[in-house]
Amino acid sequence: MTASATGSGGWRLAQGAYAGALAALPGMGPATLCALLERGAPADIWDSVRRGEIVRPPARGSSGGAGPRLSWAAAAAGAPLERWWDAWQRRGIGVTWPADPRYPRRLLSDPEPPGVLFWRGDLGRLESRCVAVVGTRRCSPDGRASAYDLGRDLAGAGVCVVSGLALGIDGAAHLGALDAPGAPSGTGSTVGVAASGVDVAYPARHAALWERVAAAGAVVSETPPGRPAQAWRFPARNRVIAGLVDMVVVVESHVTGGSLITADKAIDRGVEVRVVPGPVHAPFAAGSNQLLYDGPGPVRDAADVLDALGLVDHRPRRSGRRRPAPVARPEQLRLDPARPAPPPSAGGPAPPQSCSDDPPSSPPPPSVGPELRSPRPLGRPDGPHGEVLEAVGWRPTSLGRIVERAGRPVGSVGRILEELAAQGLFTEDRGWWQRTAGGGGRRE
Amino acid sequence: MFAAVPSATLIGVDGLTVRVEVHVTTGLPQFSIVGLPDASCREAKDRVRAAFSSSGLAWPQKRVTVNLAPTGQRKIGSGLDLPIAVATLVAAGQLPAEAVTDCGFIGELGLDGSVRRVDGTVALAAAIGAGAVVVGRDAAAEAAVVGRPRVLAASSLRQVVAALRGDDGWSPVPALPAPSRPAGEGDLCDVRGQPLGRLALEVAAAGGHHLLLVGPPGAGKTMLARRLPGLLPDLGPDDAFEVTRIHSAAGLRLPAGVMVTRPPFRAPHHTASTVSLVGGGTARMRPGEISCAHRGVLFLDELAEFPADVLDTLRQPLEEGRVLVCRARAAVSFPARFLLVAATNPCPCGGDGSPGGCRCSEASRTRYAARVSGPLLDRFDLRVGVERPDVTDLIAPAGARPPGESTSTVAGRVARARQQAADRGVASNAEIPAARLDDLAPLSPSGRRLLEVRLRQGRLSARGLHRVRRVARTLADLQGGPGPIDEEAVHAALALRAEPFTFEVVAS
Repeated sequence: MTASATGSGGWRLAQGAYAGALAALPGMGPATLCALLERGAPADIWDSVRRGEIVRPPARGSSGGAGPRLSWAAAAAGAPLERWWDAWQRRGIGVTWPADPRYPRRLLSDPEPPGVLFWRGDLGRLESRCVAVVGTRRCSPDGRASAYDLGRDLAGAGVCVVSGLALGIDGAAHLGALDAPGAPSGTGSTVGVAASGVDVAYPARHAALWERVAAAGAVVSETPPGRPAQAWRFPARNRVIAGLVDMVVVVESHVTGGSLITADKAIDRGVEVRVVPGPVHAPFAAGSNQLLYDGPGPVRDAADVLDALGLVDHRPRRSGRRRPAPVARPEQLRLDPARPAPPPSAGGPAPPQSCSDDPPSSPPPPSVGPELRSPRPLGRPDGPHGEVLEAVGWRPTSLGRIVERAGRPVGSVGRILEELAAQGLFTEDRGWWQRTAGGGGRRE
Repeated sequence: MFAAVPSATLIGVDGLTVRVEVHVTTGLPQFSIVGLPDASCREAKDRVRAAFSSSGLAWPQKRVTVNLAPTGQRKIGSGLDLPIAVATLVAAGQLPAEAVTDCGFIGELGLDGSVRRVDGTVALAAAIGAGAVVVGRDAAAEAAVVGRPRVLAASSLRQVVAALRGDDGWSPVPALPAPSRPAGEGDLCDVRGQPLGRLALEVAAAGGHHLLLVGPPGAGKTMLARRLPGLLPDLGPDDAFEVTRIHSAAGLRLPAGVMVTRPPFRAPHHTASTVSLVGGGTARMRPGEISCAHRGVLFLDELAEFPADVLDTLRQPLEEGRVLVCRARAAVSFPARFLLVAATNPCPCGGDGSPGGCRCSEASRTRYAARVSGPLLDRFDLRVGVERPDVTDLIAPAGARPPGESTSTVAGRVARARQQAADRGVASNAEIPAARLDDLAPLSPSGRRLLEVRLRQGRLSARGLHRVRRVARTLADLQGGPGPIDEEAVHAALALRAEPFTFEVVAS
């Protein structure tokens, strides 16, 4: 037993230590690791590797390659297993593999499952209803707001929000989930799937977000702790996201975006994909719009997602609930063209059919749906305010363009923009103005 | 035999009077120049001897010693050729001493005996204390702008000698054409759209505020910047003379009327070195681009491509209006009061900087933004985004849209606003001291409230506040309304102070 996995101390470590150590062998990829772990208990496999009975497979498509390749036996002999295991446990890092009962159930039937999954936090969150909210790092303020709202409202409805901890859409979705009101733990359930080790925050300025996600849900990764992400880890990470969820929602993606990989992998797995439509000329939505055109249906907000998942959204929504309950779908409502649209109820006397004495359980009157769907019960302001409102588009617009379109002095445009922004009609992001559909209260 | 004639050498942009003394004595034929001549000055020996022989003059077969007094100062340039030749002629007895009394000489000699212009003729002529100065014919107009010493022009050494002997006349000094606007300035009415850019130009011209234009390639940043000098008023007589002196010393082409009456426009490429920008040099202290742009516009295109250390040398001249260039041998002060206009892309990829509209990674945008130091960015009172014009606007026939205001209309407003600043006792609104802002730029209650809100939100710093108030002062002057500055002027001033570079700050 001297050269066995008992190590110098003569005691066996937990199986997880060996599983994790196998994942850390040089040149180890998910497929090799899975095949390896099918042979039995991780500790026994580790022993075989140490003894040289299981050797490193030859590099594919290369004869010799560049530089000397470290053999697995040599790597395993030099691996400070106990120190690793100690460090992982100290930092709250767990290890699971397919034979382990904690391994996420959805991944057991996955065509390309991770051989080993490292995690921090509560892995059990992945056994509940999970939705991935993914998208580009270089997103628009509106996309960010969409992702944030989706994260918040889905987590508020008890859905676990899965994303990739990246800048832009991913981060906004996590932040939204963390801010979900009314969730059991005071913060919503969210799981981040990382391409680097679970203790290597990437990007570095998301370190605080990683900690919050790990505390509120979990951060998981295939990459052994302490290792930065190699380029191939990112698409691999995206397949794990696709394998962990019931639905993938793409918020914004450039044509070459990694979130399109997540969508492809989800489609391969029979996981439903939905897309938040973006402006047709915007590069940041070109990929997601193409995806939308190719088939997956659109979603506008969390209510649509919950509807698509077959979950009735009966939680009280935040102010300005914009659509009727899923039973009365807008397309059904529009089947009756003879019914005249009611005048806007905001401000004026309420039309008789929308009296508030309806019993709350009855479906809302059909005619209310389309009206409430309009971007905002605007009653477009008159005069200069209206001109400025017209001049700002739904896409990010520079102040110069607004002044040009409105044909008013700069100072007056600046004043009106500020007034309208205070009403929540615009967001401003570093000099770029954009109309927003909803009211204020959006967090950047 | 001994003779001395006055001449001058150039130190920076100032002339230093030099007494050229020549001593001719018996001994072995020899020609030596003493008194700290630099290389170009020492070469005078060969040029002068060749010019003598080409002009049919006899070189004295004696020991000739030239001394350039004051001997402690290094003499620079070939302008001392002519005085050396003339003093030698006098000392050798080929010219009567009376012929050169009260007469200075400036000029380089060609091997064929021709007399040529040298750089800095304006400053050199101004340094001559004598009643008349002899210069090359091509430098006569330049020397004449000084006005004080009578200018005597000659095209060759032979003519100089003949005229001094009284055998021949001097060449006539050409009459100066009236100053005219340079053709290349361009008119503001050529600019389509760009309301913010136009306003920023007007404010920059009226208040002397430094301007940063941010926009993608092809948006028209350079086009706008080139139209700024046209908005500035003509230079006053003193300024014009000073600028002419600098340009003459830098060897720049002077306008047809010699006197530089329009504000200069200088646009150095971003490979410029520190010395070329600020001034200095080894052989001779030359004025840099910032001095060539004195009383005019210095345009730095692709600001972020300039080396950071080069840019940071601009900070002190921007504050003080002059730059003191110190070297081991001399310290030279160059005037450098210029309006700084810079242009930059919002990010390296050349996108328009809109959120989600560029290909750069956040890291590369952050790096790009860091290339321009905060203190320098802070000097720009005006920071304006410039966008590519609408396609429909560009291809629309010329008459489809009413043209924008022309340069002359805007220049009129600028002149009036500048007059108001002058009445207030400040050179320009950009130079109102912070302590006098309440006095000279009082705010209306609503304007004050707006600034208070911005300060509380952290969207405006204390220093930014002063700069916004100065710009608002200029905007109010342009509108011509008396009384305290109203809210809309403050709004416009805030709109003209956009964040130049956009990069994500994560709020997690």
